[in-house]
Order: sequence, then structure tokens, then C-alpha cells
Amino acid sequence: MPLTPLSRPLTAEDAAHFLRRTAFGATDEQIRALVGKKAQDVARAALAFDQSVAPGNPFDPLQGATPGAALQLGRGAWLYELAYGPHPLREKLALTWSNHFVIATDKVRNVPAVADYLNLLRRHAATRSFERFTLEVAQSPAMLRYLDNDQNRKGKPNENFSRELLELFTTGIGAYTENDVREGARALTGWTFQGGRGNRQYLEQPRFVNQTQQHDTGRKTYLGQSGALKGEDIVRIATSHPATATFVSRKLHRAFLADTPDDAAVKGSADTWTRTKGDVMAVLTELLASEAFYASRSRIIRSPVEFLVGGIRTLGQPKIDARSLLNLAGTAGRMGQVLLEPDTVKGWDGGREWINDTTLLLRMQVAAALTMGSKAPNLDTPPSLLALTGQERPAGAVLLSSLRGRQRTYLSLISPEFQLA
Amino acid sequence: MTNRRDFLKLSALAVAATSGMPGFLARAATQAGGTKTLVVVQLTGGNDGLNTLIPYSNGAYYAARPTIAIPKKDVLTVTPDLGMHPALRPLMKLWDDGHLAWMENVGYPNPNRSHFASMAIWHTADPSQAQADGWIGRIAEKIGDPFCASNLGAATPQALQASEFSLPSIDSVDNFQLKLPAGMNTPFESLLNSPRSGEAAYLTRATRQMMKNTARVQENVRKYRSGATYPDTKFASQLRDAARLIAAGVGQRVIYVSLGGFDTHAGQRAEQDGLLTTLAGGLSAFQADLETQGLAKDVIVMGFSEFGRRVAENGSAGTDHGKGSVMFAFGQGVKGGVHGSSPDLEDLSEGDIKYRQDFRGVYAEALTRWLNLDARGILGGTFTGPRWIA
Repeated sequence: MPLTPLSRPLTAEDAAHFLRRTAFGATDEQIRALVGKKAQDVARAALAFDQSVAPGNPFDPLQGATPGAALQLGRGAWLYELAYGPHPLREKLALTWSNHFVIATDKVRNVPAVADYLNLLRRHAATRSFERFTLEVAQSPAMLRYLDNDQNRKGKPNENFSRELLELFTTGIGAYTENDVREGARALTGWTFQGGRGNRQYLEQPRFVNQTQQHDTGRKTYLGQSGALKGEDIVRIATSHPATATFVSRKLHRAFLADTPDDAAVKGSADTWTRTKGDVMAVLTELLASEAFYASRSRIIRSPVEFLVGGIRTLGQPKIDARSLLNLAGTAGRMGQVLLEPDTVKGWDGGREWINDTTLLLRMQVAAALTMGSKAPNLDTPPSLLALTGQERPAGAVLLSSLRGRQRTYLSLISPEFQLA
Repeated sequence: MTNRRDFLKLSALAVAATSGMPGFLARAATQAGGTKTLVVVQLTGGNDGLNTLIPYSNGAYYAARPTIAIPKKDVLTVTPDLGMHPALRPLMKLWDDGHLAWMENVGYPNPNRSHFASMAIWHTADPSQAQADGWIGRIAEKIGDPFCASNLGAATPQALQASEFSLPSIDSVDNFQLKLPAGMNTPFESLLNSPRSGEAAYLTRATRQMMKNTARVQENVRKYRSGATYPDTKFASQLRDAARLIAAGVGQRVIYVSLGGFDTHAGQRAEQDGLLTTLAGGLSAFQADLETQGLAKDVIVMGFSEFGRRVAENGSAGTDHGKGSVMFAFGQGVKGGVHGSSPDLEDLSEGDIKYRQDFRGVYAEALTRWLNLDARGILGGTFTGPRWIA
């Protein structure tokens, strides 16, 4: 059963909710512009993004003096795009996919490989073919390096990518056996890359190669299908497995509906996924216009990056100097979310795991820096309570209304309501 | 289970009253008691046990690992058959003093080779993977004090998850303090007092807890003067923070520290050698600090990893995910030696060693004989393991 579409025209709180989830947050004016519109039209418009980027990005990773500095500049560049880019939903999806097809920059350690990987996530952000997306990820030098498939050779299998392809990228645990992992690794032998290896070549462009002489051409059996399977076959079989529809739909619900997704709603999306053969655009279009989406307010704890970017966008995208932005990217890391560098290949679990004493303290410090500090950006029009909390009458509304601009904005940013989307 | 139900009732009441949580905590804190501390060290990524405690007299070990085996001449001999990785030399004094224990061949039924599933099993102490709460989270609920167990690091591991509590993670003791801008204390207090439900109520509770925890730590850590020089690593600085919290007498019974990077699929020697160097350097400084402070008799350390690695090396001079592995423990309260028998390298399960000791038995010993808690209530069953507490 597909998800039931929302039938009412959007209210102000509906519009605020939509923009908190799909654009990290928005100004009062941006919210009001959606009031009265149809949910389907709003979802389609938000998903109709192109690949244009924010003008004037101050960060260029190619100018990094060391691999570490270059990767840090890359994180700054992404934070700038997240905060000021023309297509926040594309960036939200790229962030979501970076937490699905996980790589870690400290292992990849090559600037063009990381840039290509991020552009791949943007290009496929609302992909029409999850199979195609997965194949391109599997052949990206960043992933080949991160999960060691560049070392996966005939007779000397390395199972790292083969395992995570099933466990984390497609079917999830329970749908496969250890034998499938081994056979998948054999099928993926020979996929590697040339160039860009080593600490000195961190600016050199690596390139995918299929080393056929390193490929195990023998017969394999993978998820019940047998033959002289190749890497492409493994990706096709894994992505079209029924468990993949549910497993990846659940992650989309996790990103857009709730920290604890509702199984019936996930099944609705999985049905659409199966019917459209992994057309993520179709799944998202339905999802973002559904009753379930609009009924799910305040059920996601914002991640550190969502908190920071949400703050900047809710404040009307005030100009923040490059050094401070770079510091903010580092602060996101101290709050548990280094862009393109989750602790493990499983990615960030999110939800309540974002919250502990230290991260709460840091969120309060960031909020103070954005609103009360000596270098805080100018706020001509302080954000409305609707923009800050998503509610016209949030908890503590009377108290907040009695405060002046900066103080009200500061307290709202550290309120439980702002931590949620 | 009545204890747990009573506890939940109590905390629900406390949450409903506007100023209830701090009062409730104050009451609970008096029950925490105890002077013994357990420090848990997590080696994330699957530490290779065979290259940590090396069966150097076993030809099968060298046959399976032509490239990455530790040469006999480099091994730090501890028994006629076993020796420690050379990077662990800083821990040899503890061994010689009879305060370092190795638990051989530790695992659990139906081993899972997924990092995450296996780590979750160690965190929840539940191989059926049915529970969400961690075993240390359950300790905190049993004691009734969310501050009796803390993680040192940015993110709270599942071992410290509890259904009602949010246990603290302290990234750095120095920065662990709340300073609101002038004039904001009272409005913030009023804002937190507004009624909330769902995740917003959870966040309110977590914020209140944080305010209380930071105040408690800052009042106490000033007393600490370091008694050792720590290496310049993040891991060592977290252990130094652990020593500060213990010296401050803030009341933690369990402190959790992690060291990551053990997923050595390729080029294992260089990677694991470096990690074990970091590990041993941090741990030996920590022990020296405790001894200088006169705290060593009250603290033990217990280390684990989510699994060991395949017996045979792979084609990239690394090892893929395996099953059982070694655990270690040390401290004046620990009975040194090798506990349990080494794996039979010629009788393997899918290329992996077969475990012979259940990790829950190792936990049970720490819970019962060190922390003086009811292990059965925390682990959900009776597990016996080696007698590694002195």
C-alpha cells in the first residue's frame, strides 16, 4: 500500500515542518510562501533540484598544504554549501547518503576521490535507479579504498566491501549468509583503481579500473543465484533483493520521518520501492507529501550538522567569515559528526545518541556564538518563534515573547524544541 | 524485576514534578556508595587476539600467517607457550608483579562477524540481540544514579545506554562546565520548566542532568594533581581524565574509554603495532598515576574487542573478521596470569578459533567480586567465568 497523501493545503506549522526536515530550517518569509499550497506540489518543487552550487565558496581543498588540511578545507566547502547553497534538500540527501554509503576521509586521503564521491552523492541524491547509484559507489576510488576492494584479487579475496555491501548498503543483516559474503568477494575481485595512492599523491586523480586478470571467473552462488558472476551482477542481485527495499526505505524514514520509524509506514515506502524497482525519486516524492510525514513532527533529534546549518538558515543565512565556518565544521566534529568521517562504516546512529552532556554544552556554546557573542552576525529581523521552533505556540512561548531579539533567539536555539525537527 | 519496575515508577514521578529530577538524583546518589572503580577499555574494530597474546610455540600459528606473524624472537614471553606483542612491553611490570591477567579464547555462542552486531552483543551482554540497553546502563539503573558510570569521549556507546537515564559522556574534563551568558540563568530555568512530552521531554531531562553533572565535576576535579606523564595521544588524555575523575571522588563506579582502528584488513603489522603501542603507553601511565595518587588498590581495568580476526592472514597482509579473542585485565585487585586455555589452531570453525569462555562470565566476575553487584540481574542469567579478581 503506498503512503496516503496529505489532502489539506499546508498550514503555517506544516510548512515550517516541511522546511525543517528538507531544508534544515527556514526564515518566516520562506515558511509563509508555502502556506496554502498542495503537499504534492511542494514536495515535487523541492525535489526538482539541479547541480548548481552556492557562488563564492571560500574553500578550495586543492589549496590544502597537506592531505589533512585539504580534507579539512573540503569539509568547510561542504558546510558552506549546506548553509548557503541553493538546494538544501539535495544537500540533506547527500548528507543522508554519506551516512549510508559510508567512507572515511582519513583512510581515503585523496582530495579528488573525496570530491568525486560527494558529487556522486549529489548527482544521485534523488536517484531514479538505486542499482545504478550503488554500482557507481562500488566503483568509486573512495569506496574501493575505504573498504579495501582495491586489494581484492583472484585467489586472495578481501571480504570487507562484499560484507558491508550486504550488511549496511543493501539487504541488512538476516538476508544473507557468510557464504554469500565470500562468494560476493570473489565476484568483486579485480575492481580497483589507479593513481592517487600514498600520502604525496593526495591531489592526483585516481581512476577506477577493472583488472580482468585479477578477476575470479569461476562459478559462484550469491543470494540464491548462480553463474560466473561479476561485480555488476553482485550489485544487481543485492540491490534488487526484496530486503533492500525495506532496509533502505527505513533509512529514508529515519532521515525524514522519525528517529524510530513506524514499520507500517516503512512498508508503504518499500512497496513503492519494489513497484518502481528502486526509484528513489518516486519513493521520496510520495514520502514528502504523505500524511505520515506531516504527522511526524518533533520526532527527529537534529544531528550536529543539522543543528548548525539549521541555525544559520533560520537566522536568514547571515554572512559568517571563512575562519569561523571552518571552526564550526570542527565543532560539528566535537559534537560527534565530522563530515565524511563517521567513526565506523555503519555511520552515525543518530537520535538520542547525539545527546550527552558534552554535546549539549557545545550546542549551547554555538548558540551563544551565533546570537550573543561579540562576533555574532547582525540580525536585522530576529527569527519568529515559528521559524525557530516549528510551532506557533511552543512551550515557554510567553516567556520567549517577553524577551528581546538576541536573547529570545539564543534561548530558542538552546530550547529542546530547536534540537528537534 | 520488581526493583526495575519500582525504579521506573519513581523516575516517572520525579520527571513529572518540575524540580523533581535533581532531588531524585540526590537521593539516588547516596545509594551509589562503593569505593571500587572498574575502567572498561574498548578496542574498536576487532583486535587480532592471536597477535596480541601470541602462541609462539605453535607451528600452526606461523604456518597460517607467513607475513604478519610476530617472530618468536620479538615475543615478550609470559608462559612456555604464550607471549605478549612487543608493543605491550610497558605492561610487563604489571605482569611480573602478578597484576595482569589474560583471558584466553573469549567469545559467545553463534558468533557474529559483523562489527556492529558483535559490538552490540558485547555492549548489551545479549547474544540474542533482543535488548537495547547496555550492561553498564543497567548497572546505573540498578545503582539508581546516572552519574555512576561515564564514558570518556564524544559519543556514548551502547554499553552505557539506559532506558530512563542518559549517562554522561565527557569529552574533556576541562571543558565540562556550563556558563550561560549574563542574565540568562533564570529565563533558561523557566524555559526548562515548561511542560513537554516525547523527545522534547527527553531533551529537557538530559539538559537538567548535564547541568547537575557539570557542577558536580567542576566542584571536585580541582583537587587532582597528575602523578605521571601521559603520552601525547587522545587515548592517554582520556585516561588522564579518568584518573582525574577517580581522584576527585565524584562517584563513578564504571568509566568507559575506547581506542579505535583495529579493523586491520590490510597491512596489519604496521597498524596493529602502532595501536598496541598507544594502548600500552596510555594504560601504563594511567596505572603509574593511580599508584602515585594512592588509588591503585581501588581501580581495575578490563579490556575487550568485539571479535578477534581470522586465523589465516588474507592476501593483503591483513586479516578478515573472526570470532573469539583475548580479553585483558589489570590492577592490584586483579589475579594475574593466563586464565583459560589457548585456542586449538588445528580445529577451527570456518577458519576461526572456537571460543571456550563466555565473555559474560568475565563480566560477572567484575560485577560480583569487584563492584559487589548482583550480576544475574544485570546480565539476565548466571554466568561463571575465570576467577580473575584477586
